[in-house]
Amino acid sequence: MTTHAIRLARSAAATRRPAAPGLLHFVSRHYLLLPIGAAAAFLWANTAPESYFTFARLLAFPVNAIAMVFFFGLLAQELLEEMMPGGALHHRRRWPVPLVAAAGGTLGAAAAYTAWLKSATVPMMLGGWPIMAGIDLVFAYFIVRAIFHRHPAVSFLLLLAVASNAIGFIALAPTFLFDGSRAGGSGVLMTAAVGLAAWLRRKHVRTFWPYVLVCGALSWLALYLEGFPPALALVPIVAFMPHTRRRLGELFEDEVDATADTPRHYEHVWHYHVQIALLLFGLVNAGVLVTGYDEGTTATVLAALGKTAGILLAVAVALVLGLRLPAHLGWRELVVVALAASIGLTFSLYFAIALFPAGPLLAQIKLGALLTAAALPLAFGAAWLLRVGRFDPRRHPPRR
Amino acid sequence: MLGDNLYRHASPQVYDSAFERPYAPLLTEHVKFVAVLGNHDSPESVNYPGWNMNGQRYFSFTRGAVRFFALDTNLLDAPQLQWLEQTLKTAREPWKIAYFHHPIYSNGRRHGSDVELRVRLEPLFVRHGIQVVFAGHDHMYERLKPQKGITYFVSGAGGQLRQDGVRPSETTATAFDQEQSFLLLEVDDLAMRFRAISRRGAVIDSGTILRQPST
Repeated sequence: MTTHAIRLARSAAATRRPAAPGLLHFVSRHYLLLPIGAAAAFLWANTAPESYFTFARLLAFPVNAIAMVFFFGLLAQELLEEMMPGGALHHRRRWPVPLVAAAGGTLGAAAAYTAWLKSATVPMMLGGWPIMAGIDLVFAYFIVRAIFHRHPAVSFLLLLAVASNAIGFIALAPTFLFDGSRAGGSGVLMTAAVGLAAWLRRKHVRTFWPYVLVCGALSWLALYLEGFPPALALVPIVAFMPHTRRRLGELFEDEVDATADTPRHYEHVWHYHVQIALLLFGLVNAGVLVTGYDEGTTATVLAALGKTAGILLAVAVALVLGLRLPAHLGWRELVVVALAASIGLTFSLYFAIALFPAGPLLAQIKLGALLTAAALPLAFGAAWLLRVGRFDPRRHPPRR
Repeated sequence: MLGDNLYRHASPQVYDSAFERPYAPLLTEHVKFVAVLGNHDSPESVNYPGWNMNGQRYFSFTRGAVRFFALDTNLLDAPQLQWLEQTLKTAREPWKIAYFHHPIYSNGRRHGSDVELRVRLEPLFVRHGIQVVFAGHDHMYERLKPQKGITYFVSGAGGQLRQDGVRPSETTATAFDQEQSFLLLEVDDLAMRFRAISRRGAVIDSGTILRQPST
């Protein structure tokens, strides 16, 4: 068979692949399995705690360190493609204000968190401020997307979330670097992983399997030995997979021919597996007792409010300094984006489990991270009040 | 000391006003305090000489017939659990007693049992013959009926008190939440005698725990 024939055959096979049934498709397309898993975990933990915590303890490592590799890999691939021509993040002139907003949001969140814990004299938890940088990129994206559809607010939110989470990872790095558990030899492994990925790319290898199985495994081992979160193993590898342009606004959507190139193939194959990983992540990490509510929970919720305020304040400063917002993005839209960005959920949970061992301090922050999901109705409520996006009467004039 | 030993930022002045002066009569009699950290304590408190933690978050020591295991339940990480298992395995004293801040059994209204910690600690306690466990965190006094052969005490009302802070259940042996209280213990090879005493000097609970023959 010629290469063209093989592609055609694969393409036909891809189109024959049965689509997920309606509800399942909706749930997976909107990454709802994570909140579903989180809700199930919360109920389970508060009704049969002993069985829940035994289950969660058994699955914590395989889920957090292995299954989540595919989530972060998929996320890195999606974001990388968004930076290519046609993607929402392609134009670098759009970057400065969201980056300033991310810095402001993190400062606002960390300040609120620290101030509360100091006033409540809980010095044990002060080191947890990097957790507050976490923005649930996927959840926030779907909220802003649902409100604004294709609008500059979406790419603004994406950049803001990517930058904020990057700040969180960077702030956490010293914890991993200086925790005394480094095994050594990881530099060689990581170099081998990245070098092999670069070689595969140079040889135009278009199947994702060697990238994932060989390079990903080496990278995973390197991070694990170094004490870094091994779930990030595919992040440095994805950059070497060949990429295609994408249409604006198709982030996290699985509706393209998946066979033509490696990362799209990767995305297509792993889309549903990642959903299962997220379901398990919610199930394993979101089970906290209501009685675990304490100062750390309040601090995390206040940090979410501090993040919203920090984002808006930082944008105001950026505008005073002469930076410009994208067209069609005003203060009313920014308020909605800043509220959506206060949802920590997945990333806050991930940062928290990376920083604190299981126990009461972690439980407090987890509960706070779950409570930040309350920004979902707040964002929709603000959009309705401010008449923006889908609630803008000019966009949907009332029928007579 | 079962944690939350200071509710203020730790400084020499605070140690003096909140610990050294109030406890001066005991300190001058060379009573040795050995603390664990609560969620309101500064991590640097492990270096305060008066609490005899020697810079360690978790440690073990022997007094007479008792091997004490002082744990940091704020951060119950894998190295601490590995250390605990190894130390429990090698302990040969007649009594093994653990103490830490967050109770794994409690009927306190505010916090109650920390089941996530229980899942991690209880199997080790049962497997390696811990007989008695002391915790604080809930600001009241409670002695629980033995759970899997282990007697649990919550003694968290030495400083702050939460009145009506206990919701007794079938696991409660005795509870008291109307005044501050503290616990007094005497241990020999065969028995541990305890008395819980209220702020006004009334004995609110007392009894004897016999050492399990298997331990």
